[in-house]
Amino acid sequence: MPSVSNDEEAGRPDVPPHLLATGVNKRFGGVEALCDVTFGVRRGEVMALVGDNGAGKSTLMKIIAGALRADTGSFAIDAEPVQIASPHDASDLGIRIVYQDLALCENLDVSANVALGAEPVKRGWGFLPHFLRPLDDLAMEETARDAIDRLQVRTLHSVRARVGNLSGGQRQAIAIARAVGADSSVVLLDEPTAALGIAQTRQVLDVVKRLRDTDHAVVYISHNLRDVFEVSDRITVLRQGRNVAVYETAQITPDVIVAAVTRGLEEATADAA
Amino acid sequence: MPPEGRPSVAGLLGLLALRFQLLRETRFGSFGPVLVALAVIWLWFGITEPAFLSPRNIYFLFMQSAVVGTLAVGLTVVLLLGEIDLSAAAMAGVCAALLAVLLLGGMPAPLAILAAIALGVTMGLAQGVMVVFVGIPSFVVTLAGLLGFQGLMLKILGIQGAINMRDPAVRALTTVALPPAWGWGLGIACALAFAAFALHDQMRRRARNLEADSVAALCGRIAFIAILVLAAVGTLNNYRGVPLLVVVLMALTAILGWVTTSTPFGRSLFAVGGNAETARRAGMSVRTVRVAAFGIVGLMAAIGGIVGASRYASVSFNAFAGGPLLLEAIGAAVIGGTSLFGGRGSVWNAILGALVIGSLGNGLDLSGASAADKLMFSGAILLLAAAMDAVSRRGANFTRGGGA
Repeated sequence: MPSVSNDEEAGRPDVPPHLLATGVNKRFGGVEALCDVTFGVRRGEVMALVGDNGAGKSTLMKIIAGALRADTGSFAIDAEPVQIASPHDASDLGIRIVYQDLALCENLDVSANVALGAEPVKRGWGFLPHFLRPLDDLAMEETARDAIDRLQVRTLHSVRARVGNLSGGQRQAIAIARAVGADSSVVLLDEPTAALGIAQTRQVLDVVKRLRDTDHAVVYISHNLRDVFEVSDRITVLRQGRNVAVYETAQITPDVIVAAVTRGLEEATADAA
Repeated sequence: MPPEGRPSVAGLLGLLALRFQLLRETRFGSFGPVLVALAVIWLWFGITEPAFLSPRNIYFLFMQSAVVGTLAVGLTVVLLLGEIDLSAAAMAGVCAALLAVLLLGGMPAPLAILAAIALGVTMGLAQGVMVVFVGIPSFVVTLAGLLGFQGLMLKILGIQGAINMRDPAVRALTTVALPPAWGWGLGIACALAFAAFALHDQMRRRARNLEADSVAALCGRIAFIAILVLAAVGTLNNYRGVPLLVVVLMALTAILGWVTTSTPFGRSLFAVGGNAETARRAGMSVRTVRVAAFGIVGLMAAIGGIVGASRYASVSFNAFAGGPLLLEAIGAAVIGGTSLFGGRGSVWNAILGALVIGSLGNGLDLSGASAADKLMFSGAILLLAAAMDAVSRRGANFTRGGGA
């Protein structure tokens, strides 16, 4: 299915984006981190976001995730204008972020990590305040098992394994599984393979492809162009806080991206011509 | 690890370490080291001092360990966060002193007990606020608390320095024992309840096609708890019966055990102790959790103070704030297997740790050891417990391998 839908989208570049951010500006004191940036991602595609250090990738990501507020800018989900003022807003809109440093609790098991912060409680204990009601362990394990099955993490055999004992790839997969709840539609991945070896990188890239197959809109930040070319459908290039261009991955080479990242659009097109 | 068929000593040791680690990973298995320590101590003193395992001595062993155990259970909650509370014993002293003074002034016992508990919780919460909102390390805040509350205790006690505790209601807490029939009934009810919960959980796991424990492990666990509970009841019934104090402490520990492992609050305790930034990003109210944990220490310190006042039949500076109580309580928690770095531990282990410290003191007393020997032995046991913990974790890191 994914390849078919990709071909369709490649053939119809006017498919409206699921998430669209337009006119995003952000200043940190005297530094202009983002200047009039436009960014969109469709359902069922992996949109890579590349740029040199300081290009504004992480800032844009944090703004979309609600961790930072844009100075100006408007956001729309399926062409409906929405407000993203806090992580909570973003989460309610189905936007989930997987941070570079994983953000897992190593002392807890897989199911506890997947449910972290949104633990289900058993019914029938309404007389107690919510924070003292009994946890529904079985529901947590079921949710974790389903999430991991969906992402097809084959090396992970038990949702009761402690996260501290797992490999980097497995942890990254769990961090993604946690982000991808039932009601998520946009997944933001910040350098998900930065600290991983070859086999584990492969495992994570497979998980990213699975997210696309399950009709998520995936935003993938990476410095590694090989990974970007393997998983992405389109590539947005930022340079010094501004849009450079959006490319169809299938129609370009890494050299074009390198040129766009380092020198900007004019030189890149001059090179290509 | 060596290839199969050619086992080497190092390989076997590695396998053992891995086994040990796997065992410890289960919630039940974390009891392992402290139970072994307790068994060794009981075996040793059981052989060398015939009086040690007599029902009478076991009865007093439980009573002696009660105050340390109460404080250790409270301390475990802050240790789970990776914080520490050095003022627990001093808070217990202040609460005991307040209780004594109020009773002397003619206040009814229930009101005086409530006042002491309220004071303990307030002191704990106040220190929590200083740690969380002012941002002073808990070591420093509670060190200041230790000094300040010691002074406060002396001030409340007044010039005589000690107040006798004659109130019958407070004394009853440590002098009343349940009639044997009640003791048996309670013990059997506890064992049955544990079995019912465990079986129910496993049946639901099987029904929902989730990972379940093997039948052998399940039966072993139930049999273990049942034997432990019934043996304790039987022994205590051979002397005076199950002390009311033991029932109260078990009930308190059960409640705190449930709160720390099976509620959203407890889950956030472990999450904050494991990785506070993760917990914050996951939307947990880290500050509230931390302040509440210090409040729980205050609560348990107040209860420890009341228990101590009842047991010693007097409230004096040396019995609480001035003595070794604080260090024994922290030692009990650590011997129980609770990590000082946060995120790992259990309140039940703290009770077992308190029994280890209590047994050691009691047994050395019986064998006529000096105070000097007792201190050195306690130090050695604490070091041994911490070393076992450190080595078992390092062994796991070696054998795990491959993980980035």
